[in-house]
Amino acid sequence: MHLHKYEKIWLVFGMASLVLFLLIIGFAAFWKGTHPQSHIETIDPQNVEAHDAFKPENLGIREVADGKYIVNIVASAFNYDFGKDTEGNAIKTIRVPKGSTVLYQITTKDVVHGFQVAGTNVNMMVEPGHISRYEAVMKNVGEFTIVCNEYCGIGHHQMYGTVEVYE
Amino acid sequence: MGKRNTVQHQPNPHESTHSLKGTFIAVMLLGVFILVSWFGFYALFLSR
Repeated sequence: MHLHKYEKIWLVFGMASLVLFLLIIGFAAFWKGTHPQSHIETIDPQNVEAHDAFKPENLGIREVADGKYIVNIVASAFNYDFGKDTEGNAIKTIRVPKGSTVLYQITTKDVVHGFQVAGTNVNMMVEPGHISRYEAVMKNVGEFTIVCNEYCGIGHHQMYGTVEVYE
Repeated sequence: MGKRNTVQHQPNPHESTHSLKGTFIAVMLLGVFILVSWFGFYALFLSR
């Protein structure tokens, strides 16, 4: 079969790109353990309080080790429940020092929601019956808005919160 | 017979004049765009 010189060049270029990207996917999946944020672990969406992480008193931020935090959140139409402060008001701001490792654990009681900390890599789909997790190192100082990025109903835009990363 | 042979040996005018230079440049530009944008998004992922 006769192939033009240019055809040989772009075929090699295309196949090399394919191999490169497949190797990157393999590396991410098998060496780095990257997986969908909601996988394997399921939960009863009618009774999320039965799970230890989503009991009302365990919601919000908790320091588990030096520089390591866990944030538990229950999403519902149309609110993110980060727990209550000592005065009984709903918490809307999570504060962490720069460079801390934060594990976000979130589930939903009703429909599919999104959980995105805009300006960071934290971006998950939250599906009823599943627990979504994402661990991130908060390496940039600033105020990051939490938004729901899966249309969940009439009050979709009212789902918000803030992550504040300080020096 | 003789006439048929001469017809067969005439070079196809489309093959000899067809240049793939423009196609080559277009394919390479698209490839470079894909690679540059991929590494751009990866850099964004690492910096955040």
